[in-house]
Amino acid sequence: MNLLARARGTLDGGPPLVLVALFGVLGFLVVTAASSVTAAKRTEQPRRTQLAALIQQRRSQVDELDKAVTELRDRVGREEKAVASRNAGDRALSDRLDVLGRQAGTVPMRGPGVEVRLSDSSRTPPEGEDASAYRIHDRDVQLVVNALFAAGAEAMSINDVRLVATSPIRAAGATIVVSFRPLSPPYVITAIGADSGRFAVSDVVKLYSRWRDVFDLGFRVRDAGDLQVPAYTGRVAVGTATPTETP
Amino acid sequence: MLALFSLLVGALLAVVLQPSVPQDVTRYLAMAVVAAIDSAFGGLRSYLERTFNDRIFVIAFVSNALVAAFLVWVGDQLGVDLSTAVVVVFGVRIFQNVAALRRRVFGG
Repeated sequence: MNLLARARGTLDGGPPLVLVALFGVLGFLVVTAASSVTAAKRTEQPRRTQLAALIQQRRSQVDELDKAVTELRDRVGREEKAVASRNAGDRALSDRLDVLGRQAGTVPMRGPGVEVRLSDSSRTPPEGEDASAYRIHDRDVQLVVNALFAAGAEAMSINDVRLVATSPIRAAGATIVVSFRPLSPPYVITAIGADSGRFAVSDVVKLYSRWRDVFDLGFRVRDAGDLQVPAYTGRVAVGTATPTETP
Repeated sequence: MLALFSLLVGALLAVVLQPSVPQDVTRYLAMAVVAAIDSAFGGLRSYLERTFNDRIFVIAFVSNALVAAFLVWVGDQLGVDLSTAVVVVFGVRIFQNVAALRRRVFGG
């Protein structure tokens, strides 16, 4: 029987069967590897789009809930006023609540003040220079906010996100996050009650005026007669902290 | 001709059966395939040069694939990208084998 000889390729006339068989195995392997690589890529892609869709959905949910909070607080306020109109004790309580609400920042406010607009440099950073010097960071926003408070600001918002006593201004990667809301540039800081004269002579303004010239950073201060800041929609309840003995 | 036909049958079989490979193994399988391609061309070349030996061919085919996959795995454990080494070595050998095949078939 010359089948063995044929399989081992020792017989002339046609390729050895071992070679033929392993070519079959090779074809099988190539297709398997190729399809599994593309499958791996395909499973990765939808995960990204799913994540993006989830973020979008959650953001719109947050916006809706924000609106609901404002509406409900309005209603509570109206009901309280209605109750307060009936007797004096309730009226005193309602007045006190009013004052506390204003101090806590749960009421939208309006009034004269200063508006500061911060934006990244429009210039592309030159080769070899630190690109981060041409961008606005969380630290920049913090400095300007502190300077505005020092200039007498009473109610402040950044890109329509109200600042209250517990609002953090921080960075998540390259994004500035205020009260856990991610912001996108330009950053408009609205400060009701800030004195433009006092703000103009602060060190921060001098610093940023210089950086505007050097790095072309966006820094514009506007004195406005009628500014508006929205109400804070986050949680204002203080749970863990308790007052120490009052004197 | 018969080898080419066998290649197509193998590929078709994979398309029909749709074997699923765990994602972690995908990289190693790809490397093993590169090594197997080299062995296949080497076998074809030796066949045309009439130095074909079935035992050497089968052992080379299997061991090359296994060693390539193993090297990449070791590289992953060590944090060194050894897949580049496998690709370069077998890439060069594939070109050499193909060049030898071409000279044998078309002459020159």
